Amino acid sequence: MIVAAFSDFMQQVVSGLASGGIYALLALALVIIHRSTGVINFAQGEMATLSAFVCWTLVDHGWAFWPAFAATLALSFAGGVTLQAVVIRPIQAGPLLGIVILTIGLLIAFNGLDTWIWGGAAKQFQGPFSTAPIRVGGVAFSKQDLGVIAVALVAVVLMWLLFSKTRLGLGLRAAAVNPVESRLVGIRVAAMLALGWGLAAMLGAVAGVMAAPSLFLEPNMMQTVLLYAFAAAVLGGMDSPIGAVVGGLLLGVLLNLVGTYVHWIGGELRLATALAVILGVLLIRPSGLFGRAALRRA
Amino acid sequence: MTRNLCVIALAALTLAGVAAASTAGTPGVTSTTITLGSSGPLTGEAAAAAGVLRGADGYFKYVNARGGVNGRKIDFKYLDDGYDPSRTVQNVRELIQQDNVFALFSVVGTNGNLAIRDFANASGVPTVFSAAGATTLGRDYVKYPWTIGYLPPYGEEGELYGKHILATNGKKAKVAVLYQSDDYGKDVLAGFRRGLGAKARTLIVQTVGYDPTASDVQSQVAQLKASGANTFCIFAFGKFAIQAFQYANKLGWKPQIYVNDVASASSIMQLGPRSTAEGSISIAWGKDPATPQFKSDPGVLLAAKIIKKYIPGGNPSDGFLAAGMAEGFSMVDALKAAGKNLTRKSLMNAVTHMNEANNPFLVPGVKVHTTPTFRFPISSVQLQRWHNGHWVLFGGVQSAKP
Amino acid sequence: MRVKLSAFALGALVLVVLPFVLTDFRTVQLATVGAYFIAILGLDVLTGHSGQISLGHGAFMAVGAYTTAILMANHGVRDLWTIPIAAGVAGVIGLLAGVPALRLSGLYLALATFGIAVVLPTILKKFDHFTGGSTGITLFGKPTQTGHGVGVWGLTNNQWLYALTWTVGGVVFLIAWWLLDSRFGRSLRAIRDSELAAVASGVNRAKYKVLAFGVSAAFAGVAGALLAINVAYVAPDTFPIQLSLYLLVGAVVGFFGSIWGAVFGALLIQFLPDIVGLIPHVDTKQAGPTTLFFGLVLVVLMLVLPIVLRAASKLANRSYFGAQ
Repeated sequence: MIVAAFSDFMQQVVSGLASGGIYALLALALVIIHRSTGVINFAQGEMATLSAFVCWTLVDHGWAFWPAFAATLALSFAGGVTLQAVVIRPIQAGPLLGIVILTIGLLIAFNGLDTWIWGGAAKQFQGPFSTAPIRVGGVAFSKQDLGVIAVALVAVVLMWLLFSKTRLGLGLRAAAVNPVESRLVGIRVAAMLALGWGLAAMLGAVAGVMAAPSLFLEPNMMQTVLLYAFAAAVLGGMDSPIGAVVGGLLLGVLLNLVGTYVHWIGGELRLATALAVILGVLLIRPSGLFGRAALRRA
Repeated sequence: MTRNLCVIALAALTLAGVAAASTAGTPGVTSTTITLGSSGPLTGEAAAAAGVLRGADGYFKYVNARGGVNGRKIDFKYLDDGYDPSRTVQNVRELIQQDNVFALFSVVGTNGNLAIRDFANASGVPTVFSAAGATTLGRDYVKYPWTIGYLPPYGEEGELYGKHILATNGKKAKVAVLYQSDDYGKDVLAGFRRGLGAKARTLIVQTVGYDPTASDVQSQVAQLKASGANTFCIFAFGKFAIQAFQYANKLGWKPQIYVNDVASASSIMQLGPRSTAEGSISIAWGKDPATPQFKSDPGVLLAAKIIKKYIPGGNPSDGFLAAGMAEGFSMVDALKAAGKNLTRKSLMNAVTHMNEANNPFLVPGVKVHTTPTFRFPISSVQLQRWHNGHWVLFGGVQSAKP
Repeated sequence: MRVKLSAFALGALVLVVLPFVLTDFRTVQLATVGAYFIAILGLDVLTGHSGQISLGHGAFMAVGAYTTAILMANHGVRDLWTIPIAAGVAGVIGLLAGVPALRLSGLYLALATFGIAVVLPTILKKFDHFTGGSTGITLFGKPTQTGHGVGVWGLTNNQWLYALTWTVGGVVFLIAWWLLDSRFGRSLRAIRDSELAAVASGVNRAKYKVLAFGVSAAFAGVAGALLAINVAYVAPDTFPIQLSLYLLVGAVVGFFGSIWGAVFGALLIQFLPDIVGLIPHVDTKQAGPTTLFFGLVLVVLMLVLPIVLRAASKLANRSYFGAQ
């Protein structure tokens, strides 16, 4: 009985890690943009959905998965860079409200675009990893689940390497923290900002493609995931890539456990729990688990 | 300022003129057309269900090409409400007050139909053959005389599953239920408990609800499996039903599955893993084009022909399109019976005196039958079992009378 | 109180004449526009004048709407009296929300309000014995509905709704104008433009920011109540995140402050699907094109706005009617 209860518990933990991996990937994209440009991109989820649709379309036209995925990554990167250069840069220096509203406009616009081109009905998406179940000690998971978690970990390691071990990463960080002085030392700030958006768009594409097999591809696919990703990013610290991934995995497990063992919350208040996490962290410890406390500049 | 006033007055007169150019006499009926209105989830989570509107529209075009009904062609206007019932209310208001429809037909969804009932009835506008199975749509006709449903009542569907469990595994069944946490899911669950009767409390070991805004139900399915159940009832919709199958498969859970009608279209079932779906039980009332025993059925062939000609992009194995055509057929039947002198009253008279046994899109033996005091057009169904990737009907036509 | 009297009078005259000159259905559509207008005024106060970004204004509308619905359906309160009560309930909740909001800076406040708007429908569904759950609450034909859905004083029901909404709208507008022209408004704008400077000048930052939340929530509550009366039905999905975002669109289009802007923004929310439908080859039976254009409007506006504002920079510091 206890063994059964334990394996049920572990099952929830493992499934939580799998769904948390998706939150982690999108949270990573959010954190990259925030860290490199100081913006919260409300459109991140919809951009990820668009990338997933692009990948699906290529596969639908006969491409094998990995070439389609690579092409999608390249297109997403280019898309992110273009978006930053054309739409964000003109108002980058202006009031925060303007940028927030603009990213919301992008959210709405991308959602409408997806619905217009691909329709509202859900589509089946065949991922690269097998969904055949593997069972260990009464706990079931699939290669798809492991794949998502692995991809999230690889992504965060790559990001960490980029930011702390390369000159490019140094440039990205400098441009975000102090654009004026960065220019003085020769850093091409505009290029850095665009690069940040391109990277984030790529990460979003990974999130979308990893999510589509289990969530089913449709225009609203990432809408609730966006809120979970926000919760993960806030929990981990909005400027910490490691925090984003840890936050995501932690959140996935937390939501499953709370949903299963607290009957009043059950399956219906998952979103509310994520909101509680956001509000709780912001009010009690705004820098999250791994972030640094920010200075308020007047 | 005077110029502004003149412009406004001119625009207003034009608008008023346009509004007045519609019918005198019965709204929505001219010597050449009958205007029907509807509202459904053309977008959003439930977008697949809007297939019934497209199916009915296709059937009407087919009938129009053959001269229409009593010399009139049917003009079917349907609007998107994204499954939000307050948008259904606004759409219906627009259809009645601006488009002057003759009647509302095949309004999709339990919540939407409940939301518009008071307004439609107060306006004396018939709401016929709604694409919803809420028992109250047929039961509360004294209060809402202008409303009538079509689908077999959800509560009774649940009851049939309960009775089947009692008959086949009454002693050893341990039942877990995943249900959509809205009126639709709760209606089926309530009927299911009724069907199990006194044994409901002992046989049902766990029920878990989910909100349609959830992204996935893996956690809920794991919880249900953990209850040790050997029978799994999926009262869910669309992608959640598919996920339920997939996660049950993943967790190595092989219960006897009962899946509700709305999620049982072959196109959806085929997305679930074979081994888990094998043996699942559901009900059938309309001919699912993918079911082998109907492959050469004249009704199914007719549906395919209509889809090809009148519904561009329509998938011939889409069960929702077929259901819409069944409704369309009954509607045309009712309009014919309502006579050349077509009024809203004559339509309601016709729909409460239906005796249709020849609907080509319904399972043989399932009749459309109504009386003024029995307003459940479809109240008989057959059970079907999923075997080797398709549905096989078994048993006889059973009553689903509430 | 320098008032552009002729503009105000023309507006009032147009309002009075319109329902007798337009179709009945258009009249009730304009009544809905009136409710959006009031909500946008609220957002003007909160985001435009006190600089606190709220992406969840629909939530306050929902509070007002459900207050009205529950009072009308379960407690026999006449619809008219529910309006001030809805304002009060929403206002109090706004004040309560305003306190923790003080600790959240711009971006994080936007995030928190976004989350609240996304989660609200699920919470409304969960407490179903109180809210009626996903079935919602029908108000049509109830004895507490003035006119019983048929009409009042020889007006049709739609004309009555129009008259009610725009009368309340006029009252709310006057209140907003008075507030924003007063010390309250000046303090808000001072805080918006530079918190440090405002505090240094002795402005009680906390008090005014919280009050702004309360006032704007009260406005939204009124708007929600009017919508509930208008449609005679509320459900959890009536106030999704999209509504909050569209309100923001309306407020931005109205440049956060001019009354004509708020009217224009409200008209945009109501009639954009029809405008988009005029474009050839676009089928508005699908929601795709309409949503896309809403988004594009917002994006283009935000790109164009700084240019416009730079040319009219003094306008941003003025109140509605030119008082300094």
